[in-house]
Amino acid sequence: MASQNMDPEAASSTAALKGNETGGSAAKGSVTKRLQQELMTLMMSGDKGISAFPESDSLFKWIGTIDGAQGTVYEGLRYKLSLEFPSGYPYKAPRVKFITPCFHPNVDDQGFICLDILKDKWSALYDVRSILLSIQSLLGEPNNESPLNTTAAELWSNQEAFKAHLNTTYRE
Amino acid sequence: MATPVNIQNPSKTWELSLYELHRSPQEAIIDSTEIAVSPRSLHSELMCPICLDMLKNTMTTKECLHRFCSDCIVTALRSGNKECPTCRKKLVSRRSLRRDSNFDALISKIYPSRDEYEAHQDRVLERLSQLHNKQALSSSIEEGLRMQALHRAQRVRKPAQESDNTTFSGGEENGDARSHLSHDSAPSHTPLPPSHTPSEAGPSRNLKRPRVSDESGPEADRGSPTPPLRRHKEGPGSEIELVFRPHPLLVNTQDYSQTRYVKTTANATVDHLSKYLALRIALEERQRDGQPDAANDKEGGEAGPKGVEMTPGEGPSLKNVSEKQYTIYITTSGGQFSTLNGSLTLELVNEKYWKVRKPLELYYAPTKDQQPQPPQPPQQKSPQPKDG
Repeated sequence: MASQNMDPEAASSTAALKGNETGGSAAKGSVTKRLQQELMTLMMSGDKGISAFPESDSLFKWIGTIDGAQGTVYEGLRYKLSLEFPSGYPYKAPRVKFITPCFHPNVDDQGFICLDILKDKWSALYDVRSILLSIQSLLGEPNNESPLNTTAAELWSNQEAFKAHLNTTYRE
Repeated sequence: MATPVNIQNPSKTWELSLYELHRSPQEAIIDSTEIAVSPRSLHSELMCPICLDMLKNTMTTKECLHRFCSDCIVTALRSGNKECPTCRKKLVSRRSLRRDSNFDALISKIYPSRDEYEAHQDRVLERLSQLHNKQALSSSIEEGLRMQALHRAQRVRKPAQESDNTTFSGGEENGDARSHLSHDSAPSHTPLPPSHTPSEAGPSRNLKRPRVSDESGPEADRGSPTPPLRRHKEGPGSEIELVFRPHPLLVNTQDYSQTRYVKTTANATVDHLSKYLALRIALEERQRDGQPDAANDKEGGEAGPKGVEMTPGEGPSLKNVSEKQYTIYITTSGGQFSTLNGSLTLELVNEKYWKVRKPLELYYAPTKDQQPQPPQPPQQKSPQPKDG
């Protein structure tokens, strides 16, 4: 294989390009490839309660949906999210936010999510599927130590009231 | 037993897990036994978890032994945390990695025509980025799958010449979660579509080898999960695996002695299977005669299997392939062979006659009173009635 005989210097310079936010077409190609793979895996896996698909022409913006997990106050509610992939993906985390308003201790009124794996704990091994599954479990297990929505954080201890509030404020 | 050395640093413990304590080594294989490895189970081993492609210039982390493409891990370390993307173990620099040339050699042994494949993928991607719309995406994914199926045939043929160790065979008992019948993902193939046979005919040149099972190709090749999108159009159904052997009493084993491994949808009927078999055998005959395409003047009827109809002066014509040529048998509990009715679905056969949790075993032999038949229009219909 020709590629195996590649000059290591050359190899590392293309690698640098791969992670570069403003990378050229080569980088874009590898991101596209990976996103295609993810899309196929996602369509194959048939996970219950999560789904995602590119929003329109571009593979770099997806719409995902999450169903609230059973046994949580979010059960029966469906949330839409947007995922935007930087050209440095998967070395850089995608920008993920709720489109459907979500009353949750770690989600602000703009839909922004406070989740470590989307920030400093990001790893190139995460993918759309693991992100959506993580957010799904975040719904049921908020981190009330660092709330973005303090009202929600305070109300969390009273699950019945929380659920009542959720149901009256929920809109698609 | 001494106290654990690393008592102060529990994350660095070397204690064995329960599994490791109790496992016993596998017997070394010293005879000619072949072990079937599902391409799907290989896939996860050969894939880089970052780019989701097959590993390229493999690098292995020295401490935690996770593998990545050189480019991928170097970029990941440069642009993110200095830790193993898989397990978050600290990776100080590139020095925490080593080249794994043995692994590269292993991959190139298994997939010798990888460059060719990648060139194709690049072309598909190129076109995709030009067209840039959803339809183009899905059609190019489908085309990619078709090409993968094609490439698979070529690729599998090569290792057959070079080495027998790296061939896959179809028996997918090991570790293939999806091979069991209960899975509810829809079938990926209409059973045995004729359009598939040309590409699958490749491996059959070497008649002694177990063949690659028909459905596992696309995913295998690339180490990439490539779900045929058709799955989503078809209704739910399950897959069924079967081992297909010549009838030990009725077939002269020299004729076509190989065992065939087939996986298809459970709603395929015995007739579908029979017709598929007739087509395969006709194709193999043709190939053995060195006549890859239609024209075949030299070989007359003598080379063909008894059941395949011959027009004088021609090889087995694929148009005449019919489900009537072969009769399918199953062994009943008393060791008797009983004939299966052509209209039974394989699912029904499985429930009615087989019942055990292992792949269905069927036998075939040319139908005894097989009369030459006029060419028939293709009768085989896709057994997936649902669409959408």
